[in-house]
Amino acid sequence: MTDSRDTTENPKNNGDNVDMDPRYENLAAYVLDALDQDDERESVEILIENDPEVAAEYRELAEVADHLAIGVPPVAPSVQLKSRIMELASRDSAPTQFTPQPVARTVPWWKRAFRSGVATSAVAAVLVLVVAGVLTAQNSQLSNEVSILRSELTSESTAVAIIKSELSTTLNDSETKVASMKTEMDQMEDEFGATTKMVVHQEEMMSELATANMALRQTLRDQSWLTYVTMREDYQLTSWLANSEASTPETSASGLIAVSVVDPTAVLQVQGLEQPQPGFVYTLWLMGNGAPRPVFQFEVSEIGSANVAFQLPAPLFEYTSVIITQERLNAIGRNPSGTMVISAETN
Amino acid sequence: MNYQGLTDLELLAQIGEKDREALASLYDRYGRRVFALAARILNDPVGSEEVTQDVFMSVWRRGASYTSKKGKFTTWLFSIAHNRTIDELRKRRRDRSRENDDIEDHYDLKSSDISPADAAVAQSEYAKVKAAMDNLPEEQKSVVELSYFKGLAQTEIATKTGQPLGTVKTRMRLALKKLRVALSAEMGAEV
Repeated sequence: MTDSRDTTENPKNNGDNVDMDPRYENLAAYVLDALDQDDERESVEILIENDPEVAAEYRELAEVADHLAIGVPPVAPSVQLKSRIMELASRDSAPTQFTPQPVARTVPWWKRAFRSGVATSAVAAVLVLVVAGVLTAQNSQLSNEVSILRSELTSESTAVAIIKSELSTTLNDSETKVASMKTEMDQMEDEFGATTKMVVHQEEMMSELATANMALRQTLRDQSWLTYVTMREDYQLTSWLANSEASTPETSASGLIAVSVVDPTAVLQVQGLEQPQPGFVYTLWLMGNGAPRPVFQFEVSEIGSANVAFQLPAPLFEYTSVIITQERLNAIGRNPSGTMVISAETN
Repeated sequence: MNYQGLTDLELLAQIGEKDREALASLYDRYGRRVFALAARILNDPVGSEEVTQDVFMSVWRRGASYTSKKGKFTTWLFSIAHNRTIDELRKRRRDRSRENDDIEDHYDLKSSDISPADAAVAQSEYAKVKAAMDNLPEEQKSVVELSYFKGLAQTEIATKTGQPLGTVKTRMRLALKKLRVALSAEMGAEV
């Protein structure tokens, strides 16, 4: 089949200026694989299928291309190529059933399929498969979700069991701690009882210390006596001052008065005196020779002792007693009015 | 089964039944020619073997897609081979690597593995096609060479030669028609 406007009589007549039927203009390029676009190939294939004249020319030109392929210089592939192809064919287990189909070139298979008579049924089958596939996929998805939920539930149950175990452990620990605290409280109570006993014991010790203090004061009195004895050569002891009227041992004091044998001077030595009240000092009184006679006021040391030399207003034997009281500093009244700490006869 | 006695279509039917021996027989018939075509275009034995492998695996998988309605089996087979080879060539051209320079370079490929008888047949076929090609006007021969063996699209040929696209299309068609006339005796014998 040839185009009526074509001429091929002279082989060297290139005939380039011959007008060409548009139906054939891309047919040669299709045969030679020289079309630029897929849609051009598709158009040519549609023409081949629907136009007998175009189909006839296509067969003629395609056979020429067939000869071009065959008429190439003879070269051979490696001997391994066949075995490689056969091995690939062995691994590829999907050859198709032999049913004649339109010639396939470079047009996509789905385009050819839609142009064929079986396309509709194939599409329907594909749709059924797609729907079935979707349903299967959804079913699979639901199964997966159920599986995931079961897995999560199992995980949560495990977590709850772990928490329960931890709570039980915590509760046991708490009970243990409470028991331990109770034991400690019992121990503290025992210790408190022991402390109470210690306080009582301390009180007892203080009582014993007071007793010892009394003994010490007695010792001091004895020392005063010894002092009196040692001073007899220079002074004559004229009065041993005992705390005869003191009501408590703590306020008791003692002392002596020694009179010089050569002049009217005397020495007062006292101990065991408390520190006087603020604004008060101790005052020595001579009594029994007319009105009470305040002789002098004096302060005591930190340990409650004092040694004072003084002038006697009259010989000591003219007085009947000696007293020491606390009076206001420089505000002595006619008679002793303050607290009396020593009262003794002059002997 | 005597596979050598089966026709191409009978072998294809067996291939549709997963018969590897049928594929082996088909390869024995056309494997070298497919490889030679790829080698003629790519000038690369390794790449040509890859193309040949792809072509026969395509036959193994898509044998059912062939129909005798529009042409001979060899036309279908070589159209697959040529299309696959051109795709590879254009891919390499895009990668700007391993581009073949001259058609004459292809003759350097070894042919020692071809039997003397096959070589004689091939040389005879090649000589006929070469004679027919040489008899074409240079412009027409050029568009066939540039398109079929160099893989240029018709717009690329127009750009390369400086000719209008319509002229290129016309030359292509006329060239094929003249080649058909020149090779008509052999074609008639095969058909």
